[in-house]
Amino acid sequence: MLFMMRTTVVIALLPVLTSSDALQDAWASAIVSFFGAALLVAMIAGLGVRFPDLTIVEYAQKLIGKWPGKAVCLVIIWAFLVIAATDTRIYAEALVIGFLTETPIPFIIFSMVITGATAAYSGLEVIGRTADLLFPIFVVMIVVSLAFAIPDATTMGSNLEPVLARGIGPVLRGSIIPTVVIAQYLCLTMIIPAANQPKKALGTALWALTGSTMMLVLITLAVTAILGPHQGSRAVFPFLSMVRAIYISVFLERVEMLALFAWGFGIFIAVSVFMYCGSRALAQVLGLDDYRPLIGPLAVIWGTFSVHSYQNLFQLRTFFQPKIGGPYILSWILIPMGILWAAYGIRRLAGGKPDEE
Amino acid sequence: MGYRIGIGKVRYMRIHRRKKEKTGDPLKDNMDLSQRYQEVQKMKLEPGLEQNLQTLQQVCGYSQDLKIRRFNINGQIPAALVYLDDMVNTLSVEEILRVLMVDVQRIEGWQKDRSLLRSAIKDLLIINSVEETDSIGELFLKMTHGNTALLVEGQAAAFVCGTVDIKNRDITEPLSETNIRGPRDGFVESLCINITLIRRRIRVPHLWIETFEIGSLTKTQVAIAYIKGLADEKMLEELRSRLERIDTDAILESGYIEQYIEDQPFTLFPLTLRTERPDIVCSSILSGRVAVLVTGSPHVLVLPADFPMFFQASDDYYEKPPQGSFVRILRWIGAIISVFLPGFYVAVVNFHQELLPTALLLRVTASREGVPFPVIAEILIMEVLFEVLREAGIRLPVAVGPAISIVGALVLGEAAIRAGIVSPAVVIVVAMTAIANFSNPVFSMAIVLRILRFAFTILAAVFGLFGIQFGILLLVVHLCSLRSLGIPYMSPLAPNIPSDMKDNFLLAPIWARTTRPKILGRREPVRQSPGQMPHPGKHSQEEIKGGNKDKNR
Repeated sequence: MLFMMRTTVVIALLPVLTSSDALQDAWASAIVSFFGAALLVAMIAGLGVRFPDLTIVEYAQKLIGKWPGKAVCLVIIWAFLVIAATDTRIYAEALVIGFLTETPIPFIIFSMVITGATAAYSGLEVIGRTADLLFPIFVVMIVVSLAFAIPDATTMGSNLEPVLARGIGPVLRGSIIPTVVIAQYLCLTMIIPAANQPKKALGTALWALTGSTMMLVLITLAVTAILGPHQGSRAVFPFLSMVRAIYISVFLERVEMLALFAWGFGIFIAVSVFMYCGSRALAQVLGLDDYRPLIGPLAVIWGTFSVHSYQNLFQLRTFFQPKIGGPYILSWILIPMGILWAAYGIRRLAGGKPDEE
Repeated sequence: MGYRIGIGKVRYMRIHRRKKEKTGDPLKDNMDLSQRYQEVQKMKLEPGLEQNLQTLQQVCGYSQDLKIRRFNINGQIPAALVYLDDMVNTLSVEEILRVLMVDVQRIEGWQKDRSLLRSAIKDLLIINSVEETDSIGELFLKMTHGNTALLVEGQAAAFVCGTVDIKNRDITEPLSETNIRGPRDGFVESLCINITLIRRRIRVPHLWIETFEIGSLTKTQVAIAYIKGLADEKMLEELRSRLERIDTDAILESGYIEQYIEDQPFTLFPLTLRTERPDIVCSSILSGRVAVLVTGSPHVLVLPADFPMFFQASDDYYEKPPQGSFVRILRWIGAIISVFLPGFYVAVVNFHQELLPTALLLRVTASREGVPFPVIAEILIMEVLFEVLREAGIRLPVAVGPAISIVGALVLGEAAIRAGIVSPAVVIVVAMTAIANFSNPVFSMAIVLRILRFAFTILAAVFGLFGIQFGILLLVVHLCSLRSLGIPYMSPLAPNIPSDMKDNFLLAPIWARTTRPKILGRREPVRQSPGQMPHPGKHSQEEIKGGNKDKNR
């Protein structure tokens, strides 16, 4: 159970490191996004709690029939594919821009995909233990890089003013992306049956969401304070730029390495979880007993997808515009979960007990 | 409830299966080992004394250490003592002779009734054990343990008398695991002595020792020691089945056993802790682990082992907790340095110069001026040279040791820098790595770290720091997927068990460590009652006050 919480905190924090909108009120957007996100998490995890022993592929087939169920699950598998590919691509771009300027991107992407595939091949238990081991390091690294920012942030606190000067509109618009990236929690639909206490999954997920929102607020505050609202929203990787701006002493000039390593650990956990969930879900859709034979081919698809779906960083940034990414990512959650909830509701009204069949 | 011997099955050699069954005379030269073995196994003692003696001698090819002492019981019945040279206690053998040649007269009527002789011998011999056997194979096996066989004319069985007196090395301090504080005894090559060393420390009958016989030619005795009721039964069952599965001709060291019983054979990491120190074995047994002892090996295996165990020395527990914790942190730092430092150096110099403060960077660059090799070649050459030097140091005769250290230090270090072949920075890195590696208390883990260092250096040369990161990730996944006798190798780190963290990086005081490791000791989780934190009692406080009063006066 703790593993799930840890994994989801990590996963939810990842986009935070990359996207931050809404000028000086970004922190307010972060808080607003919590409520929308909580609703979506409840939607995602709620059904899983009602079918504690089944993955989404299994209960979807139960709720709306064999073939429609499988079709709906394809949407979720697609989501896994896109999320993992995008996460990897973002990380690779950050590395290439900041550190390995001459390394071809596919090289980095495939290193990450192979590493993730190894973990996924070893099974969920191993991913869980790995997350257990890496999570403290991840959190400590992020907290340390935030702590280093405190001296600078306090002197430049004026960047945060004026509060809510442009009204509530931009704040709401800014909260769209942090809300919809909660689609990452879709992995819960595959993990819940493996948890120790599936019934408590929803609570755990919400706690994880709270934790990651707090981190999000802190990070956006630090970013806006140090970089200033305009540069902050323009920066490609705001968090990295912020950490790069930190100057403690001659010896501690380069704290961004810490953040990047932490990020790498996080990406790794995310990618391995998504690869596991994706291949497991696909195996169940196809009716295979074991998901492991699928990992190899899927890893290739994942890597290729990651390389080819975005030409460059600007396409990546465009993807995360509220106008484009918002409805698209939201549809991954709303379409399958909406259909399944509707089916569940109808069956309930019809007097059946769908979760006990 | 002392020993449970004979649970293990005697295994025959695999080779006998592809040979045709061929019966014949084992005393002839034309039989191969497996056929000979089976024939000897079938052979029985005959009533004739001389015939038996001759068979025994022929079976072992008139080897010179087979000693035969012929005599007559009470001057009438021919008999013989057979034993292997230097394995028996001479006094005991003489005692048997005296009893049989002189004291036997006290039993009446044995000359008439031969069956009385058997009981007469059993009654008269003042020897701690007398057994009977009629199989030649079994008889010889018992003689190799230091027993003496008594063969009597007209008896188709031999009396095996316990006269064991096998010479052993003294119990000395183990050379490979020295410590500052704590007991100085170490295991030796004798199984019995090793078992004694454990039993002297754990004095309850619940310390059970099961013995197996493994190896069709060496007949090595392998014992597992555990506390009944504490060690997990499923775990024990698994270990037993793994031991019984072994079908080989020879077990010469516990390292052989180690390779047969590991959970995951394809890993660099040691999945069993091997130690020469009885105190480490005892503390492991007391927390629910199992020890595997092998005749002829002073290295005892402890399993299940977990990763943090390899960074703990017994001193840590004997010193006060802050000292112990300090040393442990140092050891982890040492391990991290010994794995990552060369890789980090290569990555920084090749890819990430900006990570170094400018002054340091200038120094490093200046020292690399004129060096003919790329950094990676430089580092690899020096590391390999150092590893060779270290290996040579182990094999060196003591007398020439100083010569090698002079050559190693002067030629490799000083001269290489003077000649401009390697940069001083690389020598510093290699030296630091080497010294850091020596801080690891367990050789089997230290050598893994040494091997990993090469992998990480090469990764760093290819990918820079991110190569190291990918390496770390793969390493962590691998470590997390390992199990030792079913217990996750990385526990208590992953799965994270907060209650076991009291004895991990930091060491809690002994009165605060009230529980056993959670997974291992789940049958009896509580080790001691809580609330034993020492505090100055009422009595002593009054005394101090009284002392003050006295002074005031």
